[in-house]
Amino acid sequence: MTAVLNLPCEVESVFREFRTCEMTTLSKDGTPITWPIEPLYQPEKGRFFSTTSIGMAQKAHNLRHNPKISLLFSTPTGSGLVDPPAVLVQGDAQVSEEIFTSYTGELAEFGRCAFSRVPTGELYSSNPVMRFLFDWFFMRLIIYIIPRRVLWWDHADFNLKPHEMEICHVD
Amino acid sequence: MWTEIVKEIADFPTSILTGVDAAGYPFSIRCKPNPDSDAQVLRVELPKYFELQPCPAGLLCHRHDDLLDHQKSFLVRGRLEQDSQGWLFRPFKFIPGPGIGGVMAMINLLLTGRRNAKQYLEKRHLPRPVIAWDTVHAMWAEIHSKDQ
Repeated sequence: MTAVLNLPCEVESVFREFRTCEMTTLSKDGTPITWPIEPLYQPEKGRFFSTTSIGMAQKAHNLRHNPKISLLFSTPTGSGLVDPPAVLVQGDAQVSEEIFTSYTGELAEFGRCAFSRVPTGELYSSNPVMRFLFDWFFMRLIIYIIPRRVLWWDHADFNLKPHEMEICHVD
Repeated sequence: MWTEIVKEIADFPTSILTGVDAAGYPFSIRCKPNPDSDAQVLRVELPKYFELQPCPAGLLCHRHDDLLDHQKSFLVRGRLEQDSQGWLFRPFKFIPGPGIGGVMAMINLLLTGRRNAKQYLEKRHLPRPVIAWDTVHAMWAEIHSKDQ
């Protein structure tokens, strides 16, 4: 099942250019847990790609229990966009069982995008001591986010009623 | 906890408030919470279209610079409620993120990450995997080649 994303240009620009978004998962007692992440937009696959270390796997545990997820794009810092909308994506997540330790394929695609925006990230693999201390950081679970509904607020003004689009899915 | 929340939230112009909508999905907006120290709650004005019932809720504040450096963030777990004055966020737990707690917090993050990873693997009876560092270095080499 692939999501068909026919979204306005200004919304897609937000997905491509924002450095971070605020990802929410639901804990076992239903409390929303929100932390900033760096997502990779994969429009040709109708989804977002994200990843987390097994050393910080709470979001993966939450998603295995309840796959409902949201991504709020409301922090334009570093995007270069002028007056972008704020965008909320609600959807369902799939979390890999496999632990990825090789930066090839999609993980390399993600890494090239994410790390090129974070020059200090190279520190964690820069020498044998850091590689020993931070090897757990490179043990990754992959998270796919399949959008169900997208809402956006012109001028990032949350007092305005948002535009809304339900997302179609095809086999 | 209340003192910490009031101190840290003053460092951010707005916060991200998340509740759960009627379909069970998280729903987030940015808003400006106002501390009510007598009741030890954060008062929030929600737009009328925001179709939420009183529910478990979270409040995130975060920022970073253009290169994702100088990060600061924290999360508050709590509950969205209504009283005679309107909507409020009742905090239950303050969870500091990057940029709060100094060097000790960074050391704690390192140790916690190592411990969590060990437990994750042990629970699944998996050996500690070896990182393909050559692929990590190749990725960085490609990034640097594009920079030049």
